[in-house]
Amino acid sequence: MDQVLAGVRVVEVATWTFVPAAGAVLADWGAEVIKVEHPVTGDPQRGLMTSGLMGGGGGIPNFMMEQPNRGKRSIGIDIRSEEGLKLLYKLVESADVFLTSFLPAARASMKIDVDDLRKVNPNIIYVRGSGNGQRGPESERGGYDGATYFARGGHALALTPGELEYPIGPRAAYGDLPGGMTIAGGIAAALFRRERHGVASVVDISLLSCAMWTLSPDVMASKIFDLPKLPTGGNREMNPNPLVGSYKTKDGRFLMLCMLESDRFWPDLCRQIGHPELIDDPRFKDHASRGENKTDCIRALDAAFAERTFDEWKEELADAEGVWSPYQLPIELHQDPQVLANGYLREVESDQGPCTVVANPVQFDETPPDLERAPQHGEHTETLLLELGYDWDDIIRLKDAGAIL
Amino acid sequence: MELKAGSRWRSAVCDTEVVVVRAPSGSPSLECGGAEMVPHDAEKPAGAQLDPAHSDGTQMGKRFADPDSGIEVLATKGGAGSLSLDGKALPLKDAKPLPSSD
Repeated sequence: MDQVLAGVRVVEVATWTFVPAAGAVLADWGAEVIKVEHPVTGDPQRGLMTSGLMGGGGGIPNFMMEQPNRGKRSIGIDIRSEEGLKLLYKLVESADVFLTSFLPAARASMKIDVDDLRKVNPNIIYVRGSGNGQRGPESERGGYDGATYFARGGHALALTPGELEYPIGPRAAYGDLPGGMTIAGGIAAALFRRERHGVASVVDISLLSCAMWTLSPDVMASKIFDLPKLPTGGNREMNPNPLVGSYKTKDGRFLMLCMLESDRFWPDLCRQIGHPELIDDPRFKDHASRGENKTDCIRALDAAFAERTFDEWKEELADAEGVWSPYQLPIELHQDPQVLANGYLREVESDQGPCTVVANPVQFDETPPDLERAPQHGEHTETLLLELGYDWDDIIRLKDAGAIL
Repeated sequence: MELKAGSRWRSAVCDTEVVVVRAPSGSPSLECGGAEMVPHDAEKPAGAQLDPAHSDGTQMGKRFADPDSGIEVLATKGGAGSLSLDGKALPLKDAKPLPSSD
């Protein structure tokens, strides 16, 4: 069966992770995504060291290239050259979606802005991923997720415990990846609109807007309650419901209880943890009592959870009625039975050998996607030119002119 | 061997396959794993062995170019042998991004 976006052609002129991740999602969904890279430098992501780690040689896959670029083809074009721009227009003629992370002034000077491309293809859906939005005094300023999503977007200070001297840092591409997913969703809606009503949209998503959406309860509540800093999550003593929070196991790992309607789950939890005597303890008889006596209740649960190890609890609580989770390390997700059962990790054959990538979170027709590796820099330049009707003489001429890789 | 742009070649000693994307000047010999490559549709010659001196491997999707002769090839299939031109290792042509880190 065809994938949902089979037959959709996307031209991507974008760098780093945020906007390319949108292309990766579209490729997961079956679209044909053509990544346009500078013929000499390529996507700067190719040279990025992330959290002190870098792949791309010595048998170590470049995970920061694979995740946001799997399934694409790459063409090396110098858009700033006259011949290169003509070639880009030729690609755009055949495309449904144009995806870019370039700033307004750059798009204008490169002649790849909305009006430029609509002259070539009036029906193209034009998609702009930005840091700070397309309007306002900082629309010409670039963004990265660390600065724009995490710092400016409120996440860093909302998550940093008060006693730290400096704000905590984000994880790699922490805002870029949900942002890319959001762009892909916007594109899907725009494709539907064009199909149903014949109207081609301009689609805008910024890292700032994505950050605010994710943090919207804090953004709203801080204004409503006039609280510059909301209580940091995970503060056990502040929590009125001891059935929501973290508990330490015998071996120093943690479990997260998330039993919001605590009256439903208290008796079962007490039995699960081997302390049925707590069920009838008058201090803990209902939600309100447990709230009033939360310190005692938390101590009782602390003592109980300290009796077994992380692995023992995972087995012991397997049939608990309420929601709980082990606090897992990223590496443990590779063995998580739910991850495996649902096909959330996929393997691609990268240039450095097998590489496990994370699937986009949307699954269609109960089928995890079969994924292909990320392209090498400009790997498909000649193939795409031949497909567009150029011949080898043209290709050599364009190479000599510096228009292509 | 006529290394025309668009011509496809396979290694005589490993799985590597390439397409010539820019022809060289003169008529050099394109080798992989130390042995001259054969036309893509030809049989591999029997008995040819991978030369350990040319066994750094070739990775699919990578480009190799020699500025002297002007040849550029694109690996369409990876293999154990490395590419050479008249016995001289063919340099990798890779993207040159600025160094960056977060």
